[in-house]
Amino acid sequence: MRAELLAPAGNLEKAKIALLYGADAVYIGGKQFSLRARASNFDHSMIEELVEFAHGLNKKVYITMNIVFHDDDIYGLEEYLVYLDRIKIDAIICSSMIVLEKAKELTNLEVHLSTQFSLTNSFLANYFYFEGVKRVVLARELTIDEIRKVQEKSKADLEVFIHGGMCVSYSGRCTLSNYTVLRDANRGGCAHTCRWLYELYEDGELLSGEHDFQMSSKDLEALGFLKDLLDIGVCSLKIEGRMKSIHYIATVVSAYRMFIDDYYKGTLRDLDIYRNEIKKAENRQTSFGFFGGDTTIDQQLYNQRSEVPTKEFVGIVKAYDQDNKILLLEQRNYFSPGDVLEVFTPNKDIIQFKVEKLYDENMLELDAARHPLQLIKIKLRVSVPVNSMIRKVI
Amino acid sequence: MRIVAKLKTVEEIEKLIDLGVDVLSVDTPLAVRGINKEIYDELDKIVKYNKPVYLFLNKMIHEDDIDLVRSILQDAKEKGVSGIVVGDITVMIIAREYEMQDRVIYQPGTMNTNSFDSDYFFMNSIKGITISKEITLEEIKKILENKKTEFSLVGHGFLDMFYSKRKLLSNYFVYKNIVHENIVNNQGFRLKEEMRKESFYPILEDEFGTHIFRDKALESFSEIKELEGKLDDFFVERIFLDDEEYYESIKAYKNEEFIPEFLRKYKDKYNKGFFYQYTEKLKGDLNES
Repeated sequence: MRAELLAPAGNLEKAKIALLYGADAVYIGGKQFSLRARASNFDHSMIEELVEFAHGLNKKVYITMNIVFHDDDIYGLEEYLVYLDRIKIDAIICSSMIVLEKAKELTNLEVHLSTQFSLTNSFLANYFYFEGVKRVVLARELTIDEIRKVQEKSKADLEVFIHGGMCVSYSGRCTLSNYTVLRDANRGGCAHTCRWLYELYEDGELLSGEHDFQMSSKDLEALGFLKDLLDIGVCSLKIEGRMKSIHYIATVVSAYRMFIDDYYKGTLRDLDIYRNEIKKAENRQTSFGFFGGDTTIDQQLYNQRSEVPTKEFVGIVKAYDQDNKILLLEQRNYFSPGDVLEVFTPNKDIIQFKVEKLYDENMLELDAARHPLQLIKIKLRVSVPVNSMIRKVI
Repeated sequence: MRIVAKLKTVEEIEKLIDLGVDVLSVDTPLAVRGINKEIYDELDKIVKYNKPVYLFLNKMIHEDDIDLVRSILQDAKEKGVSGIVVGDITVMIIAREYEMQDRVIYQPGTMNTNSFDSDYFFMNSIKGITISKEITLEEIKKILENKKTEFSLVGHGFLDMFYSKRKLLSNYFVYKNIVHENIVNNQGFRLKEEMRKESFYPILEDEFGTHIFRDKALESFSEIKELEGKLDDFFVERIFLDDEEYYESIKAYKNEEFIPEFLRKYKDKYNKGFFYQYTEKLKGDLNES
């Protein structure tokens, strides 16, 4: 069985991009019951459009229902589950027993256990398997050796996070946000209190520098352990980040797609080749999390320094006029004549060119592409597919 | 309703019994946020006092912990322990091997937030569940209406609100190039956030990770009267309280005439937690799925 590459999507556009750039499946949140409150969650019509789109590509859509339910959250749950079953969602991702039990009782939905449950061993994996859970998402606190041991004994399929943000606590076991700002971390309200700046005292004496005690984790980047994960045979490799941009999703998905395809073809290349692709969009410092064992200062973020992506996303291709050799793109960031741009296609082709002239959609010449979402035309002799990303070479 | 106290030393058992404690709870080697794990070696002596004994086995259970879980459960069975307080239902699963699931109390801190959990864990024949700490008194009452299994509450003391596997204090001192010989289980560390200058949050690193606690301890003197008859166990948390304050807490729960004196003495360090404070949802996000 080939490992699945599973990507996040905060909206329909991101979901389609993720699938076009190589994800085998996407996970999304509906308007209800999902933790990603600020991610632009999907309404019913968007979910249905995405399911049709994904199934047309022989790919899958999973819905997150991973809040920790209070009694007043349960309203509408049964109807929603029945609806998801009817439109043939491929699986739901949940962490509350009530969702699991209701899904079993009312639907034929495939159920995955969310990482919110912080599943850390094979006993729990097998318990949930016999409770009707087909797949479990492992806690991000597991080492590669622990994952191997769980895989050896687990009857449930395993899903492992390979890229993106990490909670510094065990997932689902933090209520810092509840207490400090009255926002429920386990119902989509996390205020990232763990990323605030603190001073450390011991018996009343200040030990730290001025607010330099920080708990933030670097983002996860598992390239160094990806071959091990594939050797172990985990079922699904998951990217985090429903809030991320389409460029980030396309870039990261494409890089991991390349790695996975190369692995199965037996043509793995130097890790830096894949890593350099990711760096074109990555704007946070990364580390391998717990894969290598207990975390050290190398997995922590003490100085809040951001990484600068090596490429800047400037637009997405909306059409290509074969007859007139004109590219139509939707602007996302400023660029102007003289800039060197790079086209990055869903097929992973990369084409670089220098911008000579820019035009608006009526072919009036522009001195720069200044306005977000403005349609811009560029003469380009090479045909490029719709949904290709355009980056500025910095 | 049974008052469950955390035992620090064998020598204080009679004192706690005199105060009216109903259950003695004991840290095991797989306890987190413990106050004295070495006391587990004296379990033989503790059970001889003919008081119910609960064991704390509330670490997140990783694959390599399983043998020790089994060993503790075997020990608990042989010694007639009445309850096993767990943070991870892995222990419930393994307890079945020893026909001990009916002694498991599921106390994850965050997950028991709705009425349905009572049904679910009743079907799994466990002893009980501890209602989560971040819900309101009204929500607690509603959950208690659907009473199929035993219910408990951690109703007093400094409550944790964060459990990380990372050694955040040790790592920080490495980052700062500071040699500190006394990090693990040191109860003297506090965090102060830059915008909350009056709040000092206890932070504790134990051998299993890092824990952060509320800046104010919780007291439930009046609320407990409303829940009486529905709650089976009332846990009085001990960490960060000195012995005198801890004993006075128990005394006040057992006899309300001591409540005014307690509050006069300690009122400033306590609050009502979430009993009257609903937390909002859907305003942020989380790196989860």
